[in-house]
Amino acid sequence: MTKPPLLQGRAILALAHRELKGYFESPTAYIALIVFYLMSGYLFSATLFLVNQASIRALTETAPVLLSFLIPALTMGLLSEEIKSGTFETLATLPLEDWDIVLGKYLGLAGVHLIAAGGLVFYPLLMRALVTPSLGLDWGETAGILAGIVLLGLMYGAIGLFASSLTKSQVIAFVLAFLLCFAFFLAGNMARFAPGPVASLLEFVGIDAHLDTLGKGVLDTRDILYFASMIFAFLYLAVQRLQSRRF
Amino acid sequence: MIRAEGLTKRFGAITAVDRLAFEIPVGQVVGFLGPNGAGKTTTMRLLTAFLPPDEGKAVVMDLDVADHPLEVRRRLGYLPENNPLYDNLEVTDALHFVGRLRGLADRGPRTERVKAVVRTCGLASVVGRKTGELSKGFRQRLGLAQAIIHDPDVLVLDEPTSGLDPNQVVEVRDLIRELKKEKTLLLSTHILSEVVATCDRVIILNAGRIVADGTPDELAGNLQDKNRLYVELKGPAADILPSLERLPGAAAVRPCPKAGQAAEGFVLESEAAKDLREDVFALAASKRWPIMAMSQEKLSLEDVFRALTTGAPEEASGPRPPGAGPQGETPA
Repeated sequence: MTKPPLLQGRAILALAHRELKGYFESPTAYIALIVFYLMSGYLFSATLFLVNQASIRALTETAPVLLSFLIPALTMGLLSEEIKSGTFETLATLPLEDWDIVLGKYLGLAGVHLIAAGGLVFYPLLMRALVTPSLGLDWGETAGILAGIVLLGLMYGAIGLFASSLTKSQVIAFVLAFLLCFAFFLAGNMARFAPGPVASLLEFVGIDAHLDTLGKGVLDTRDILYFASMIFAFLYLAVQRLQSRRF
Repeated sequence: MIRAEGLTKRFGAITAVDRLAFEIPVGQVVGFLGPNGAGKTTTMRLLTAFLPPDEGKAVVMDLDVADHPLEVRRRLGYLPENNPLYDNLEVTDALHFVGRLRGLADRGPRTERVKAVVRTCGLASVVGRKTGELSKGFRQRLGLAQAIIHDPDVLVLDEPTSGLDPNQVVEVRDLIRELKKEKTLLLSTHILSEVVATCDRVIILNAGRIVADGTPDELAGNLQDKNRLYVELKGPAADILPSLERLPGAAAVRPCPKAGQAAEGFVLESEAAKDLREDVFALAASKRWPIMAMSQEKLSLEDVFRALTTGAPEEASGPRPPGAGPQGETPA
């Protein structure tokens, strides 16, 4: 098991497909999607009617909190349920590496998140149909905000998957994931209260700064790298956890 | 083919599997027998590369499990303890899912395999039902079907009949007998009759070590230090007892009343090598006492099991009616 993992694409896709299907065979995905669209729809229309702005900008501020409990609700059972019911042993004794299992599960969740975030495109499209073209819609900003929400959800998903690998209890997995996600959100918010060097560290670790740049329509590799390395780090931790086989 | 060489696994201070060594040739059915906590499940987890061993190595079909875990798993079918299943999947969906993860990527051939295992395992009547709604017997069959979907060379079954009612046990046993024709099969159980019914060979484990290894008959024979003969003779009880005691080689004789006896029953003990049956016949013939029953009492596997795993002498299991063991009767 010390060799580098050779990923098995077909098996990963089979797992992801099963996971995605599973979400939509149970109420989980629907409830999460309803909450997500209710909140985002409210924020969108509030900006539209109260502030008179055609923008989904308000989402950038709320998404870190909203997703910090929606995503853990989707991830909490991913591994904990397999460990609890013993089906993890079935999976782990198939010709699969632990990386295959983690990636398959993760892609399934990512699918749900992409469906949710993809639906947000509907808002700016609706705007375009309603507002006079001269008023204009900042497409760069909109794309940046959407990309930010996608990346944020993917990062939370990796955190949630890791939390789910830690325990047999879905409730504990949920709470752990929420706390971790929220901590990364808070770190960015606390930055402005902290003294100099700590502040810049918090700002780097926290989500806010990265999401803000993206939200302005600025594509900075540092931000992409931040999300990518977070995702990799937590997936790596989840694999390490599974490989310990101590449940 | 399965081979263990000094296989050792520790969990903290506990040595769950202690320098295990055995070899199972192709086509043999071996039963792992032992009390709970003897290391049966851990050994199976080492063989399936679910857990890495601390020392020693496991070899499956000439492949070192530690070096080729995926290749070993490809050639091996495994039914884990308690038969975990995805409860929200429909029966054939569950089989398709495992099939896909096993690399049966094309739908056509995979559907063929699913149909084949549904037939082999008698699942046709529950197709369309969710796994979570199945009775325990059908769950077990589904677990077996999942384990053989890729037609493996080696099958490892952890307690395939636990928790089943007697009819289901027989059904699953028949299924295993069906499967064993072409495969190397290792199954664990703590039900002794299971081993007698399905296995060519028994490995008894206790506290992580092999305490016995052989055919069920061999194991029972090796441990036997006395020969016991049960006879029922029709005649005056007061005469029979002293006559039997006078037989040369009879170390002890005691009356053995038993329900449903046609006549007076007695148990004669002699040294292991001494067979009293002909002497009893000659005696009965000369006295014209019809022999209503005569059977050589053997130690049952149950006695062997108890003796080996508790350290208690065979007598500790208490007096047992002769011939009550699963394979205890030798027709006289």
